[in-house]
Amino acid sequence: MDNLGFLFAANAFVWGGIIYYVYTIKQRNRALEKDLELLKETLSKEG
Amino acid sequence: MNLFLNQISAIVWKDFVTELKTRELFSAMFVFALLVILIFIFSVNLSVVKASEVGPGILWVAFLFSGTIGLNRSFMLEKENGCLMGLMLVPADRTAIYFGKLISNFVFLSIMELFILPLFMIFFNIDLLGHLLPLLLVIFLGTLGFCALGTLLSSLASNLKTREIMLPILLYPLLVPIVIGVVRMTGQILTGEPLSEMMNWIGLTASFDIIYIGVSIMTIDHILEE
Amino acid sequence: MSSDEIEENEEEGNILVWLTGLAFLAAMIAIFIYVPTEKTEGVVQRIMYFHIPCAWLSFFAFFVVFICSILFLWKKDREWDIYSQASAEIGVIFCSLVLITGPIWARPIWGAWWVWDARLTSTLILWLIYVSYLMLRAQSDAGSMRARYAAVLGIVGFLDIPLIHFSVLWWRAFHPQPKVITSEGIGKGMDPTMLVTLGISLCAFTLLYFLFMGVRVRQEKLKDEIDRLKREKIYSS
Repeated sequence: MDNLGFLFAANAFVWGGIIYYVYTIKQRNRALEKDLELLKETLSKEG
Repeated sequence: MNLFLNQISAIVWKDFVTELKTRELFSAMFVFALLVILIFIFSVNLSVVKASEVGPGILWVAFLFSGTIGLNRSFMLEKENGCLMGLMLVPADRTAIYFGKLISNFVFLSIMELFILPLFMIFFNIDLLGHLLPLLLVIFLGTLGFCALGTLLSSLASNLKTREIMLPILLYPLLVPIVIGVVRMTGQILTGEPLSEMMNWIGLTASFDIIYIGVSIMTIDHILEE
Repeated sequence: MSSDEIEENEEEGNILVWLTGLAFLAAMIAIFIYVPTEKTEGVVQRIMYFHIPCAWLSFFAFFVVFICSILFLWKKDREWDIYSQASAEIGVIFCSLVLITGPIWARPIWGAWWVWDARLTSTLILWLIYVSYLMLRAQSDAGSMRARYAAVLGIVGFLDIPLIHFSVLWWRAFHPQPKVITSEGIGKGMDPTMLVTLGISLCAFTLLYFLFMGVRVRQEKLKDEIDRLKREKIYSS
């Protein structure tokens, strides 16, 4: 039963991969929000 | 139909005249293929490994690598001097441009291969003359598949910023079936097996050729569109 | 997009989040508690309940790329381009997970991290093809050219899969014969509890795919909108 480590590693990698993808989505969201803020600022300055 | 053939032959003719004038491409491809073979000879110990076992792989790696140089060149040359724009302004079918480029790529590579084969025979001490016909058939099928997909992807890569890097990256994974097929077949031919023993590989390579020529005809309009 | 529509979308998204979460909870319970340990392979066999769903998900994602690429070249609608991009990203992520969990499973069973077996090899080539697809997208600027080139590659790449499959299969074969779908019918080679667990896990991963797709597609559309506004701003001033 010392193969438990392998099972744990596989499980960890799958979850790690999913979490990593969620993280990249979050980061892209942040970049978009920044862009949006900038856009709003310039628009309100003009208006 | 006649017009279509004329357009194709005009493009092929243009490529040949350019090549005859400059002789840049052919010499580069030939020397490069020779260098690849040489480097592989240094990296495997021929006194341990049988030449007929590693030979086919080395031969095809040399063909494909130097073929990539030719592909890189074929659309880049047009791009550099703005000739592609001119080609596309001509009231010719996009498919004619594709076939013209395919044929000239195919012929250049085939001539280069014919020059490499005798050298390969001498370097590896392999007698090819006994089974030359099946070998030529395999080389024909493999080179056609390589050029069919390669011409499509090189027309695509020529518009990218990093074209020389992107072409092999896009092309090589897709070429895997054909590489496995031709290396296997060449190996079997060198051990003297008849063609009827490898009908499955021939079928696979031939369907690769047909599929990619077909896909190219259908998609080339979307790539050469400005 | 009107604000009503966005709200509606968000509500749908929330339901999907909860469903996916529940499905994964059920899958975890099934994998680690419900299903009995297999006799010959031991606990490691439980990796299968991650490995197969990841593989299924990546193949499904690549199939979606293929379909959306064809639809894009046909209709020339940016919508399909967004779908194929999102799907290719998700496919590559899960294909990587297949390539990671595969060796972890193989090490205790076959005694080697990597064996050049048919399915492992073709998965690796598939991964390379779609990584190059994403590289092509990253290389070119947004616009119709990128979308057209990517669509061509999406079609070419998917058509290569059967050829790769056969060539690698004839090259060599080691992989355990498929147990789930055999010539005798679906699921004959497996215990029913294993099938149930695998089914739950498959459902969970498929839901995750749709969740990711939804989020990524909305994000890309928002990005398009922002870019459009920016451009308008530049041209007007």
